[in-house]
Amino acid sequence: MIAIVDYGMGNVRSLSNAFEYLGEDVVVTDDAKVMEDADRIVLPGVGAFGDAMQAMHQRGVIAPLNRQVQVLRKPLLGICLGMQLVAKESVEHGNHLGLGWVDARIDRLTPAAPLKVPHVGWNSLDFPAQDWLFEGIRQKEANFYFVHSFHMVCANPQDRLATTDYGGEVTAVVRHDNIVVMQFHPEKSQDNGLRLLQNWVNWSA
Amino acid sequence: MLKKRIIPKFLIRGGRLVKGVGFHHNFREAGNPVSTAKVYDAYGVDELMFVDIDATVENRPANGSIIERVSEEVFMPFTVGGGIRSLEHIACLLRSGADKVSITSEAALNPDFIRSAASRFGDQCILVGLDYARGDEGKLRLFTHGGTRATELHPVEFAQRMQDQHAGEILLCSIARDGTMSGYDLDLIHTLSEKLDIPLIASSGAGTLAHCAEALNAGASAITISSMFLFSDHSPIKVRTYLATNGLPVRSQQGSHS
Repeated sequence: MIAIVDYGMGNVRSLSNAFEYLGEDVVVTDDAKVMEDADRIVLPGVGAFGDAMQAMHQRGVIAPLNRQVQVLRKPLLGICLGMQLVAKESVEHGNHLGLGWVDARIDRLTPAAPLKVPHVGWNSLDFPAQDWLFEGIRQKEANFYFVHSFHMVCANPQDRLATTDYGGEVTAVVRHDNIVVMQFHPEKSQDNGLRLLQNWVNWSA
Repeated sequence: MLKKRIIPKFLIRGGRLVKGVGFHHNFREAGNPVSTAKVYDAYGVDELMFVDIDATVENRPANGSIIERVSEEVFMPFTVGGGIRSLEHIACLLRSGADKVSITSEAALNPDFIRSAASRFGDQCILVGLDYARGDEGKLRLFTHGGTRATELHPVEFAQRMQDQHAGEILLCSIARDGTMSGYDLDLIHTLSEKLDIPLIASSGAGTLAHCAEALNAGASAITISSMFLFSDHSPIKVRTYLATNGLPVRSQQGSHS
């Protein structure tokens, strides 16, 4: 079973619809017991970093998440803001501490004009051709849907698995042990996105 | 490289798709929203936009049940607009599966609402719609309530103000060109895209493939298309092929599972 962590922020319906479409057993929850029963954890999120950390505190999901991801080492998938939350800190609307599972920080995107912020739309991905996460995805057609104003900067370059180009390299996918996080929305990226989710479901950390 | 976006815009009235001219006239029935969304998903369009055109006038938020049904079968981004006046309306539509909301009347009547919406849901989630036409004295003016009420606001000044209020994107809709298929308002697209740091979505007027390229070359990050898709034989595939041939960055993939 896949547990999508509900802390009141983010389009969890689209994500659970996508996993259901793939035939997966999925539950949207903030309950520690349900997370304990799950094989995989998904951390979604849309909105501001500080608000999300606060909402997770209020829902009491941080301690159970730490247990599932850091102690039990279950596969974690973080999407968009859910990606950013695994970093150590963010500068979005002030300084905020994150979950700190990946040695990274979140900075504002600052591409030169005429590029706009937020970075909205379909952008191509540079990824390692042989990697399991991208099995079945052709480099030439590897467009994914991004919508964000902040991005992850990794302290360890080897954590960075895929990038996109937006006035310079922007981190698109980070993998660190049992943690896989992506800046774009696979659940909104049509066939490519569904394939990526399927590849993640097939993976055992 | 970031691609230019092709966005079919669907107007919803009484649970069905419709399309008229100039916001008010000659509405034609255009099908079932859910099955139409699936067709356009299969065409590999880049986003979908749904506008519940009676919501503001009927003093209610956009119909979320259609969005729920779409999001069960279509795995692509969509924006919903119509009658949004509170943070709770937005939260409700996002829970239904929308990724972004488009706010027109409330933005003009209560500009601070955009800042509070952006701070709660993130800038990227909040589109501000500008419905404009020439007022009685010949100056460009914004309109609210589905184009029925004029304001004193000017689209260019107001767009900049909305950017300052943390709008994520601007959706530019010409009431005069809506449904005419006579081409986008290139001058205003050019002016706005030069002045704004946030993406501009050009709407109203697409009738030919050349119109689409013109709007994007004028600086729009995305175009919405309505009548041209519903009432002509131009499919999204033809649009994309034409744009690519003319050197505009568009997605090559046309993939969808359906």
